[in-house]
Amino acid sequence: MSFRSLIQDMKDEFGNISRHGLRSSRSHRAAVAAGAPRVASVVLGLADALEGTCWAQLPPELLREVLVRIEDSQGCWPSRRDVVACAGVCRAWRGIMKEVVRVPEASAKLTFPISLKQPGPKDVTLNCFIRRNRTTQTYYLYIGLTEALADDGKFLLAARKCRKPTYTDYLIYLDMGDMSKGSSTYIGKLRSNFLGTKFTVYDAHPPYDGAIVSKSRSARVIGLNQVSPRVPAGNYPVSHISYELNVLGSRGPRRMNCVMSSIPASAVEEGGKAPTQTEFPLGNLDSFPSIPFFRSKSARIDSAPAQAQDEEKLVLKNKSPRWHEQLQCWCLNFRGRVTVASVKNFQLVASDENGAAGQEHDMVILQFGKIGKDLFTMDYRYPISAFQSFAICLSSFDTKIACE
Amino acid sequence: MTAPTMTSRSPTSTQRSSPRSLSTARSTSSTSTAAAAPAEDLKSFDAEFVKVDRATLFDLILAANYLNIKGLLDLTCQTVADMIKDNTPEEIRKIFNIKNDFTPEEEAEVRKENQWAFE
Repeated sequence: MSFRSLIQDMKDEFGNISRHGLRSSRSHRAAVAAGAPRVASVVLGLADALEGTCWAQLPPELLREVLVRIEDSQGCWPSRRDVVACAGVCRAWRGIMKEVVRVPEASAKLTFPISLKQPGPKDVTLNCFIRRNRTTQTYYLYIGLTEALADDGKFLLAARKCRKPTYTDYLIYLDMGDMSKGSSTYIGKLRSNFLGTKFTVYDAHPPYDGAIVSKSRSARVIGLNQVSPRVPAGNYPVSHISYELNVLGSRGPRRMNCVMSSIPASAVEEGGKAPTQTEFPLGNLDSFPSIPFFRSKSARIDSAPAQAQDEEKLVLKNKSPRWHEQLQCWCLNFRGRVTVASVKNFQLVASDENGAAGQEHDMVILQFGKIGKDLFTMDYRYPISAFQSFAICLSSFDTKIACE
Repeated sequence: MTAPTMTSRSPTSTQRSSPRSLSTARSTSSTSTAAAAPAEDLKSFDAEFVKVDRATLFDLILAANYLNIKGLLDLTCQTVADMIKDNTPEEIRKIFNIKNDFTPEEEAEVRKENQWAFE
């Protein structure tokens, strides 16, 4: 009897015992042992190894029981990192964990880095805050851990300002420790024009099937049917922001207009859907990933409505503040989340272009405002993502349109 | 010739698990007919019950699943979940002796995710 088959016999035997529970198998074990005296001492040494390897054979449904408990109990950061750790153990664990974890739209929780590119929840806002470091010209986005306006927070994204002669870039990264050019944690940027009146948000990865890559010399469309897309290092424009003076000139609040090129206007209607990235492309942006991570998913990107490019895009405008006669200032109801008056403060709502007299929806989709020196809150919800929200807020720092 | 002896992984330990789980089933089911035992007593009983080596714990999970004892399945799965908490992927692999079967690209992705999560 070969050594390998002896081990396999013993494993099967343990499996039998576990399955049937009560059957006495001493006689059977003795028969197995008697058959291979020469390997007895080696098997003895392997006892510990066998003890360990049993966990790799835990049936998937039982492994799922364990992982579901982790997901349920570790709902908030920082303990939510246990969910990410479990998804990094091996393929089997990763597959189950990725199935168990729901997108932020459904769960109102951020879990994996890709959550930052996925639409926020429909029913509540995700309350975040931004810290500015004027010396290093960097900005850090955190999600709040408590009800407080700002606390230790869980780090989400970092942005570095890069001023050039004719434009300014805010480069956005997943890792505050590595914000160098070519860092693998780069996920997108905000670019402003020279005057600081128009901005474009670029995603480093395709926001949906059929997304157009913006390159200086050519435009390439990502194949709709590609299962394993070759993803070039990209700049996929996902929104265009413009600032204008109010009709009152600089005596009134500035007007913001955000065209979300990756989100259809129907997303905010009843039953609407916003495109959701499900995975970051594997490997460097410059390399070509070979196989989608999960074979069970046929496309890495949840396909947006097929006519995403032709459909009307979602437009966000800032909510018009009211003039408060007694306080002699423009006021918006920030519900306690903004405490310092600043021209940077805004609330974005979906603009109903087709509605009568340019109506606005009531739901505030993105709210940004100052709460202290170099400290700002950022609250966002469906259909925009943390990444898009952060980029839009960065434009508020940069724009030169001021208000008296 | 010495018969190979498995230390804690002996079949007898598995046999022990089943009577162990049966007696639990008896003690927990009996509480529904008799006066309920105080909650703290049950809790400490549960805590003691799962103070076993990992191999036995594994057997208990399989036994609870096979014998369809929900309370025991909950208890054992929760115990394993508690063992997993506050560990990095590498530490979890060590505890459960699980092989890292990611491709280099997948490994890089996992590393990036965990770097971000533990930041």
